[in-house]
This record gives sequence, C-alpha cells and structure tokens, in this order.
Amino acid sequence: MKASHWIWLPVAAISTPAYATTYFSVEQAQRTIFPGATFTGTGQSNTWRTSNGGYFVVERVVGKHEYITVAIGINPNGTVKQIEIMDYRESYGYEVRDASWRSQFVGKSASSPLQLGADIKNISGATLSSKHVTDGVKRVLQNLKVRG
Amino acid sequence: MRRARPLLGTFVEISAVGLAELALVRAVDAAFAAVARVHRLMSFRDPDSDLSRLNRQAASRPVVVDPWTASVLRRARSLFDATDGLFDCAVGHEAMQRGSLPSQGLGHVRGGTFAAVELMSDDRVRFSANIALDFGGIAKGFAVDRAIGVLRAHGVREALVNAGGDMRVIGETAQPVYIRCPGEDRQIVQAGLLRNAAIATSAAVLTVCKGAAEGTLRSIQPPDSAYSVIAPTCLLADALTKVLVQIGRADVGYFARFGVQAFITSAAANTEKVA
Repeated sequence: MKASHWIWLPVAAISTPAYATTYFSVEQAQRTIFPGATFTGTGQSNTWRTSNGGYFVVERVVGKHEYITVAIGINPNGTVKQIEIMDYRESYGYEVRDASWRSQFVGKSASSPLQLGADIKNISGATLSSKHVTDGVKRVLQNLKVRG
Repeated sequence: MRRARPLLGTFVEISAVGLAELALVRAVDAAFAAVARVHRLMSFRDPDSDLSRLNRQAASRPVVVDPWTASVLRRARSLFDATDGLFDCAVGHEAMQRGSLPSQGLGHVRGGTFAAVELMSDDRVRFSANIALDFGGIAKGFAVDRAIGVLRAHGVREALVNAGGDMRVIGETAQPVYIRCPGEDRQIVQAGLLRNAAIATSAAVLTVCKGAAEGTLRSIQPPDSAYSVIAPTCLLADALTKVLVQIGRADVGYFARFGVQAFITSAAANTEKVA
C-alpha cells in the first residue's frame, strides 16, 4: 500500500449533520425508472400511474436519525421494477462547530466536488437504517394491492 | 452522476464521472446490477441465496454455487489461513445465538470454524461439520470491488462506490473520508483523503470474535471505537477490519504484511494510526 493512497488530515471531530444528499428530483426519478413513459396523477399526491400500466410512488421514510425519500417503480404485474433513493439527510441541527472543518470548504465553487451539506459523504462505519426503506417499500406495495 | 439504492442491508452509493450521460447511466446501472447479484447470492436472510443453500445442505452433501460465491469462499479461505483463523466466516452459529441473524431452517447448526469448509472442483462446496457461514465480513467488500470492475469495463476512470461505509475510489481525485464512531451518532471524525484505494470500518459491538474468548476481548476493546483498514481492494479492507477489532491494535508489522494500513478512531477523536 503506497502512502500516496491515503493522506492523513489533522484529526477533528465535527458535529453532524454531515450527511445530506439529493440524488433525484421527482421528474428525474420518473424518467430514470420509466424512460419514455408519461405519468398521470391518481388523486394521491405521492402516486402516479404510468402509461404502460405501472405505478410510480414517492415514499418518505423516517429512520432513527434520518429522513430518506425513495422512488419506487412498480411494474403492471405489481412487482418492483426499480428502487432509487431520491434524497437522504440526517435529522440533526445544521451547525458545524469546528473552524478547521469549515476552512476546507473555502474556495470551493458550487460546481466543485465538495459542498457543505450537499456533498459531505464517504462516512466509513456509518450504520444507516436501510430496513426502514425496505419496510416503506412493503407498505407501498401493500397499499397499492389494497386499492387494486 | 451519483445514485444510491438499498442493497446488501445498507445503502449503496455509486458516483462516476468522465463519460457522456447515457454512457454513465449504463455504467452505473450495470455496477448496481453487480451489487444486486452479490446481494442475491450471499444474503443470509434470503432462503434462496447460495449462502442459505450452503448453510442448509452443505453439511450433508456437496452444493454447487455461483462462480462469484466460489470466489468469495476461496478468498475467505486464504484470509482464514493467513490470519491464523482470526478472519472466520463461520460465525453463523454465534450470530444466530445473539439474535442478529434468523435461525429458521438452521436448527442443525453448531459452532465451528471455516476449517470445515471444503472447496471442491466445479464450484462445489461441502462442510465437514454443522457450521453456518455469514458473509457479513466480506460480501460488501467483494460487491464494491465487482462494481468498480464493471465501471472500469465501461470505461469509467473516476468513481466511488460506497456500500454502507465500505468504499473504494478509483481515479486521481483524492476523496475525503470521515469516520463515525459507534454510539456517537452525532459526531464524525475527519480522517483523511483516499485515492485509488479502499477503506472499510467496523465496530467491536458488531463483530463476532473467534480468536479468543469473547468476554476478554469485550473488556479490552472500547465499544465506542471504530476500526478501519485501508487496502488496495475493498474485500481485503472489509475482511481485515474484523481482524483489527480482535487484535485491538493497529500493529504495524501485522497489517503491513497484507499491504494495508490500519487505524482505530475513538469518539474522543483520538486516532491510533499506522503510517
């Protein structure tokens, strides 16, 4: 392992929320999961019928410390076509106390890879509760089944 | 392009740049498909996975597995040998006793070690004892490496794949990495920059210790510490964090022979590191 693969930084503990990411808008998620389809509202604000007979559902999931928005594509036969995380954020306050931490953002433009609040990722050892997402998907499938 | 999906019992995030959008979409989709394949083959909870079939049947007859499962088993074998048994996937029994894994259909399982795993020709596998394997310490790393391989095959040169904190970066851009210590949800520690390498982090509370009496290790290892390994591949990083938890020291000599760096981070932001 060459040393150049890892560069130590001065150790600084910081307060979260270090994690808030948006992957998709509703329209982007629709286009990604059902390319070329059109979407019709169903009367429920988070559910669309697709032109091929499937469903597109946006579900908000509350985990232990996080809010996650999930897009769920459902095939005409009721099976899950695709699941995409639309956004993820932790539910703590947005203060960042440590000055040395803040300084690393100086000089970064909006288009640079690192942005405070939007792009602080790569947390090793994070235990994120994906079970809540799985439960959310099950809930959505159950609701659609009930409504037929 | 940056996407995340719920897979492997966690969130898997893939970032990739440097190609036209359509090509990136194809590359990232294919990389997720590789992770999903690992999920299908190696989930302990899915009764149809290769792993579940092995745990149910391999003690009574040879079981044919997917080449990817066979590959993970071969790597698990060499790590078991190279770490004198400290890296051991045969922790199904302990995990079920602890209640962290379901025991349905596995009433026959007793304790044992990976030494009972016999890798035969044609990707057939047999157990010489009633053990149960769990790929919790290796499958995420393997999946990340496969995803990186797929991205590369699609011509991607700059990418990051992060499976719940086990991550690998390719390209010349150094990516900042932060460590979250167990029990300290509100605090993360800025650790360093990662370039063309992988890092994985484990917590002592989530690791089954096989190398010594568990009680002894528990009293030595602070439960609020995070145990990280930086390695050329994510599989190696993932697997060796389990060894680091048990050794409890980022001992230079021990980890240098694997070509990796190890370090321990505590919630008080003290990092014991190996340069």
